[in-house]
Amino acid sequence: MARSTGEDAQALFHSLRSAYAATPKNLKIIDLYVAFAVFTALIQVAYMAMVGSFPFNSFLSGILSCTGTAVLAVCLRIQVNKENKEFKDLPPERAYADFVLCNLVLHLVIMNFLG
Amino acid sequence: MAAEPRWGSGGGAAALLLLLLVAAASICHAASNFLPVSDAHRSAALELFAPVDGSFGSLEETSEALQSFDILGIERRTNVRGSTCSSAVEVLGSSSSPVKDVFYALKVSSLLKCDVRQSQLEAIASRLKSVPSDASSLNDFYYSIGGLVLIKNQIPVVDVLLEDADKVFQAIKALSQSDGRWRYSSDNPVSSTYAAGMALETLAGVISLASNEIGQSRIDAVKNDILKLFDSIEKYDDGTFYFDEKVDGVGPLATTSSVVQGLTAFASTASGRVKLPEDNILGLTKYFLSIGIPGDAKEFFNQVNSLSCLENSRVSVPLILALPATVVSLTNKDKLKVRVTTALGSRSPPLKVKLVRAFISGSKDASVIENQELIFDSEGAFHILDLLPTSIDVGKYTFVFEIVLQDSEDAKVYVTGGQTKVPVYISAIIKIENAEISVLDSDLGSVDTQKKLNLGKEDDVSLAANHLQKLRLSFQLSTPHGHAFKPHQAILKLKHEKAEHIFLVGNSGKKFQVILDFLGLVEKFFYLSGRYDIQLSIGDAVMENSFCQDLGHVELDLPEAPEKAPRPAAQPDDPFSKYGPKAEISHIFRAPEKRPSENLSLAFLALTLLPFLGFLVGLLKLGVNLKNFPSAPVPAMFAILFHVGIGSILALYALFWLKLDLFTTLKALGLLGVFVMFVGHRILSHLASTSSKLKSA
Amino acid sequence: MARSPLILVALISLIPLLCHSFSPETPTGRRILVLVDDLAVKSSQSLYFKSLSSRGYELDFKLADDPKIALQRYGQYLYDGLVLFCPTVERFGGSIDQAAILDFVDSGHDLIIAADVQSSDLIREIATECGADFDEDPAAMVIDHINYAVSENEGDHTVIASDNLIKSDVILGSSKIEAPVLFQGIGHSLNPANSLVFKVLSASPATYSANPKSKLSSPPALTGSAISLVSVMQARNNARILISGSLSMFSNRFFRSGVQKAQSSTKHEKSGNEQFLTEISKWVFHERGHLKAVNVKHHKVGEEDEPAVYRIKDDLEYSVEIYEWSGSSWEPYVADDVQVQFYMMSPYVLKTLTSDKKGVYSTSFKVPDVYGVFQFKVEYEKLGYTTLSLSKQIPVRPFKHNEYERFIPAAYPYYGAAFSMMVGFFLFSFVHLYSK
Repeated sequence: MARSTGEDAQALFHSLRSAYAATPKNLKIIDLYVAFAVFTALIQVAYMAMVGSFPFNSFLSGILSCTGTAVLAVCLRIQVNKENKEFKDLPPERAYADFVLCNLVLHLVIMNFLG
Repeated sequence: MAAEPRWGSGGGAAALLLLLLVAAASICHAASNFLPVSDAHRSAALELFAPVDGSFGSLEETSEALQSFDILGIERRTNVRGSTCSSAVEVLGSSSSPVKDVFYALKVSSLLKCDVRQSQLEAIASRLKSVPSDASSLNDFYYSIGGLVLIKNQIPVVDVLLEDADKVFQAIKALSQSDGRWRYSSDNPVSSTYAAGMALETLAGVISLASNEIGQSRIDAVKNDILKLFDSIEKYDDGTFYFDEKVDGVGPLATTSSVVQGLTAFASTASGRVKLPEDNILGLTKYFLSIGIPGDAKEFFNQVNSLSCLENSRVSVPLILALPATVVSLTNKDKLKVRVTTALGSRSPPLKVKLVRAFISGSKDASVIENQELIFDSEGAFHILDLLPTSIDVGKYTFVFEIVLQDSEDAKVYVTGGQTKVPVYISAIIKIENAEISVLDSDLGSVDTQKKLNLGKEDDVSLAANHLQKLRLSFQLSTPHGHAFKPHQAILKLKHEKAEHIFLVGNSGKKFQVILDFLGLVEKFFYLSGRYDIQLSIGDAVMENSFCQDLGHVELDLPEAPEKAPRPAAQPDDPFSKYGPKAEISHIFRAPEKRPSENLSLAFLALTLLPFLGFLVGLLKLGVNLKNFPSAPVPAMFAILFHVGIGSILALYALFWLKLDLFTTLKALGLLGVFVMFVGHRILSHLASTSSKLKSA
Repeated sequence: MARSPLILVALISLIPLLCHSFSPETPTGRRILVLVDDLAVKSSQSLYFKSLSSRGYELDFKLADDPKIALQRYGQYLYDGLVLFCPTVERFGGSIDQAAILDFVDSGHDLIIAADVQSSDLIREIATECGADFDEDPAAMVIDHINYAVSENEGDHTVIASDNLIKSDVILGSSKIEAPVLFQGIGHSLNPANSLVFKVLSASPATYSANPKSKLSSPPALTGSAISLVSVMQARNNARILISGSLSMFSNRFFRSGVQKAQSSTKHEKSGNEQFLTEISKWVFHERGHLKAVNVKHHKVGEEDEPAVYRIKDDLEYSVEIYEWSGSSWEPYVADDVQVQFYMMSPYVLKTLTSDKKGVYSTSFKVPDVYGVFQFKVEYEKLGYTTLSLSKQIPVRPFKHNEYERFIPAAYPYYGAAFSMMVGFFLFSFVHLYSK
């Protein structure tokens, strides 16, 4: 049955890809943005694993900036997504404004903690 | 005492005095050896009386210096005559100089034979003659009468005789006290022995200056005073006599010399003998000799002057019997030398010295030698006793000598003091034989190890013993004549690193032996096992080959110390070990944590920026566009301003990271933030309205 | 009433007297009280006293039982030094007693004690307080049958010729004492618990202390090199005490006498007594070996002022000036073993100071990376010199927050990440709004 699991996986993958291709462009932009943040975080963790956590505050700052960015982006995606019934009444501009504000605060904190 | 007949003056009959002295049994006093004045005195005199800037100091000091040189027979090498004479003549010429200065000026000028005009002397004489009539203090009498006597001796032509000598005599005598001492003046109640000496000298002067003879009764009264004065004489154990004063500042030497000067002056001028108790003259001489070489100029003068007075006096001249060397070696075949001289070192009259007896000091045994006459060696002026033929052995002896004058006439002049006891050390090399050291087993007494020793040379034995054994050291000592000898020091020392133990070596006859029973000594040794160095010291004052020798060592094996055993006393540390620079310390800094290499960090920096590139690429791939950008100028401007504002806030953050502090940043942020909010609100509301228009359309 | 101006004048005239007394600026005081048993000592030890008075000391001779003697009046000490040449005194006269003498020493003044045969208990007790224990038998003398001075008239070997002198230039002077020193008297041993007293002239191994006139019945208490003939003590307040077992050692007779040691054929013209005692008196009265340290300075390398606080890992320089009193003036002291400690509970840094031969000692080192309150401590103790004990407190602080390196290379990736996030956000915010 290995062949069928392999085929099933491929079929699943194809269906996921086609489903994803249907998402609107702005959401794809946000997804790309999140992936960017996550990758940066992963690279930093790999670095820390190699050399140790010497300027720990800098490490945390770097990681936090990535994770914070990712989290805020995900929140924006949730709020902007038209298929999300919960936030139907929330204008996307409003979500965007919250997003920008939170990011500005985040980056202030990051800069302070970076050392 | 039998009544002594009166002797006429001039005869100087010391015979009676001598009889008194010799007749008395020798007074029991400690043996002692007084050396007469020698060359060491003369060199000390030159040192003490060294002139400063051509003069000896004041006139008094100058007279003392000159007199000392004269007595000791030293030539005055430095030329002090010029300046001293001129100052003396100056004093003599002035009619207002105090009497004391006149006296010393006269003395100096007579010693140096300065040129003083007869008229000057006559003027002084008449001035001095007027002093005694209204003088009230002893000092005035002393200096004026003394001055007149000096003038009389220098130039007899000048008239110095006193008309009212008797009155002056009485005035001085009135100051005398009942115990033989004198007062300084009628209103000074303190009586002084020193003043008594001055008074006697003054009275002698008065007698010699009297134009009419002074009554014999007066002179006898003074002689009684002298006898009473001599009642207060004090003596030391070694047979020396002296006078002491209770007044502060006047020492016994000054007091005694004042009395001696007064006594001899009086005895030479007064008619009749002065009957002094036996041995006093010799005792006083010995006192002056016992001082050795005084370190003070005045004391030196007092000593030398008093000895000279005693030697030249009509009382009696003491003869001193002295041994230049009291340590005699049998091994070196030394001969015992005795010298008899006067106190100042001049020759004695012909005499013989007899050794009455010689016995071991401190013992009551019979004497070793009796009645031996010493042979006179005219070359060195010594009397010699050869000890070898006698059976005298090593030891500390007391030799009792007696002087026998050849000429009976001399007996009237000189006093010899009867028997003189002198301590003599006779030393020799002691024979050491049969020296051996051995370790014995305790109970049986059998010998475990035995080693022969070379005492007096080198030894290095090495023994071992435990606490059940004994250590025995034995040797034999004998004198050159073969008798037993017990040295004063016979000490065996065992030295451990932490403690030292000392034992006396006992003897029976010639054989010396010490046995150390370690069983009984375990506690004394503090239970310390280990190496003990052995040292033997044998020595005595008369043993010429005394030694202190390391014999070797013994390894002692003692049992363990119990809990309460005493600890040995701490040894003092070597002082140098306590002080010294300490080792240097330099701080070791904490090593900084290991950092990754810079290249690695830079590599990862590049890696971190990679996702951003990926983001850019991805955006382009997704087909990003700016279609939604507002076209109308006002919203466009707001949009641009909005993004510029965000950008500037981010730039502010970067600046904050680089150099700003939080307060400045927050202030700027406040401003920027308000701006951005305003602008953002405008653009977002515009966008919102456009999108809702689109939706509704 | 006419006497009051007189009294005033008398009081004022005392003021110059005070200027001549002992003070930290002139450590050699001038006035010395000499107590003797009888005034013959003044004459028989006159060469020794002349050596003192020729160096400017005013000697005041008094009998030991004179009822008018006093060391202090109205709280002021009348003398700067005390010489006790009275071995047989039973009780001092006036207001002097053992406690007064020990107070005198405690207040920083110097003392010379000479005991001799038949010393009284009082003198022995004073010596015991100073750490020297004399033989208990009053008739005992020091006897040496191997190192005695050959003499024609003294046959009992109690006059010892000793050359076991301490090797110290500061105490005995820089010129070597060639001839042996003559000694006739009693010996003492030093208390091992006392670390301030030490032997200057010690006996040889063959020496022992006993009564020469009677046989030894028990082993002598003092034997060998443990016997000290002349010892010296420097108290913690730098007062100096000389203890000698022989009064005749100071006499003119011994000063002038020649010496020949038994079992040696060298004859010395003059004994070493005069040189030995003159030099050691110079040391006792602080003419040598008295140090003072002034001008302690420390600063950061490159700066001149003394900071109030140091930071860890700073480079600093420390300097101090040390002078030695030469009897009349302060001379620079030259040595190579003065050390400074940087001390907090225990020395963190100990360095030897280098001298520039003019009395200035300096060194430099790095401040340790421990913070706290430290002290610069100089504890200089050398045999024969006064102890120098200096300490200066200085705090040491750690790095301030802005004294670290600003940008840490190891954190570059994190910096890069943060900035790239910021740039990414800016770009995204732009793109998100206007992309269709």
